[in-house]
Amino acid sequence: MPAARKPADQYGTSAVRPADFDLFWDDLLAEAASIPLNPTLTHIPMRSTAEVDVYEIGYDSLDGLRIAGWYCVPKESYLPPPYPALLIVPGYISEPTLPKSWAKLGYAAVGVAPRGKLRSNARFNPGYPGLLVNNIIDRHTYSYRGFYIDAARAVDFVLTRPEIDHSRIGVHGSSQGGALTITTAALRSDVITCGAPGAPYLCGFMDAASLTDSYPYEEMNEYLRLHPEREAAMRATLDYFDGINFAPRIKCPILVYVGEADDVCPPETGYAFYNALTGPKTIHAYPRCAHDSGAYWEMANVQAFLAEHLRPARPQERAQTTVG
Amino acid sequence: MTDHSAYWSTLDHELARFPAAPEVNLTPLRRTEYATVYEVKLTSIGPYRLFGFLSVPTGDGPFPGLYLTPRYGSVNNVPHPDDRRRYVVFQLMHRGQRLADQPFAAPYPGLLTLGIDDPAQYIYRSIVADCLRGAEFLLSRPEVDAARVGIRGDDLVLLVMARRAGFAAADIGAMLFYRLMEARARTDAYPTEEINDYLRAYPEHEAAVGATLAHFDPQAHAPGIVARVLLQTGDPGDPGGPEWLAPLRDALGGEVEEYRLTHEGGTDHDWLDAWLAGQLGATPHPRIWRIER
Repeated sequence: MPAARKPADQYGTSAVRPADFDLFWDDLLAEAASIPLNPTLTHIPMRSTAEVDVYEIGYDSLDGLRIAGWYCVPKESYLPPPYPALLIVPGYISEPTLPKSWAKLGYAAVGVAPRGKLRSNARFNPGYPGLLVNNIIDRHTYSYRGFYIDAARAVDFVLTRPEIDHSRIGVHGSSQGGALTITTAALRSDVITCGAPGAPYLCGFMDAASLTDSYPYEEMNEYLRLHPEREAAMRATLDYFDGINFAPRIKCPILVYVGEADDVCPPETGYAFYNALTGPKTIHAYPRCAHDSGAYWEMANVQAFLAEHLRPARPQERAQTTVG
Repeated sequence: MTDHSAYWSTLDHELARFPAAPEVNLTPLRRTEYATVYEVKLTSIGPYRLFGFLSVPTGDGPFPGLYLTPRYGSVNNVPHPDDRRRYVVFQLMHRGQRLADQPFAAPYPGLLTLGIDDPAQYIYRSIVADCLRGAEFLLSRPEVDAARVGIRGDDLVLLVMARRAGFAAADIGAMLFYRLMEARARTDAYPTEEINDYLRAYPEHEAAVGATLAHFDPQAHAPGIVARVLLQTGDPGDPGGPEWLAPLRDALGGEVEEYRLTHEGGTDHDWLDAWLAGQLGATPHPRIWRIER
């Protein structure tokens, strides 16, 4: 890792938006829309509390895969519907946690488990390490093709729920959760109200891998050390999956937060995403913070931002700190 | 012999019945100019085959050793290049975690309460055995300087150190078992919330759960630990704060230092990295870079 670098906001990016980027994703969205969702909910009494009901959910996605998740919703005796929805999207190595603390604030909260995560890995399981570089030289089979769509399909699950106000749907996560916040806000810009990505991963892939030797990006460096001749093919694939290239599709307000000493998701790439946004946007940067991205201080801002746009019933309560 | 010491000595005897039978296979994908990475398989009680990443620095050893105990979650990263440059590093995946999930895949949430009503059946009895086996493996490696072996992780570190001599220094972060029956009243965050979930469903099991967890509380293991221990402490008044950790600090048998977390991840990383490097005679590797203006 370089001992000295230019200010992160001046770095820019080497990512290039393919001319058929929107066509590629619109085709995939159309393909996904043709698949019946087949949503299921199973109440989990053991994980439910006096305030919140917890459900395990399932729905169908691309390639016929069944995707799992958690759905945490206020009990009507605690807070009456309708509720705003909040998608909490997971980090790279973390499993989706139950977003009960967000439900206590008044959100109908979904913890998404895209393909490869536990409970969604029966037929797709490239593993960790492995997911980042699985079929990385072919955009039509690259792991994140289905992974992004699985997260976006959680929006369709939300739209099936009568207790949710469909005009108030937010998305939030950190690290890979930050990346999925970006892609979901871009792919479902028709209904997403706001998004709060922290330490966004999967932005400026090739730049990030050159700036760090921390995992997961180190998986790319390992791959290229073994197969240097595949760099151009890798870059060509990743341009279709780069959060920076999704930015122009996003219409809703976005709050980005980064750690200026983040060795996992370099802040240069978070700034590059932020600079590519064309809609309402805010960025908070924390010197000397790393992949925590200043969450100790920033969570209050994230809660306030989401509450401003989604208007939950009890915004004064405190949600768990989001980790990537 | 107390019930507590009988519980753990029985586990030691059970583990000793199974040879580790290590397979150490070179991983060309992760080889660099500064270190060579191997995929390792080991047998623990059950019998159950475990997985680990072993990394050995390039050059003439022996090198300081570093044992990374598994986190609470399905995935542990490959050891970081900064550590691979300086230490012989071993990262264990305990039973149920990715790469060690055949035939048992650990549920998350759910692992923390699996079999918790009965100390003999509790999943963490086996997981501690897994961690002990991993420690034995690293400590046996010829590339390791036996006088300079560190260990890093949550409070499983303390359970390992209490039962296996050979570690010179320990860096302990978040606690999993420490005062868990008290901690559960102060948080609804997972994984501690798993205990609350379980006892909401089975309130009549509270005494049994408490009895099982008592075997795993690091306070019960602390007097036997004489190596230097660094405790990372959170904010005063919070679980993890200095007052909360005081009984553990007082119970530890060796030298104890505390580091008050700043919550700036870069600052905290660089301080903790330098502390462990100092204990093991290695060079610090700070990650905060200089900004050229």
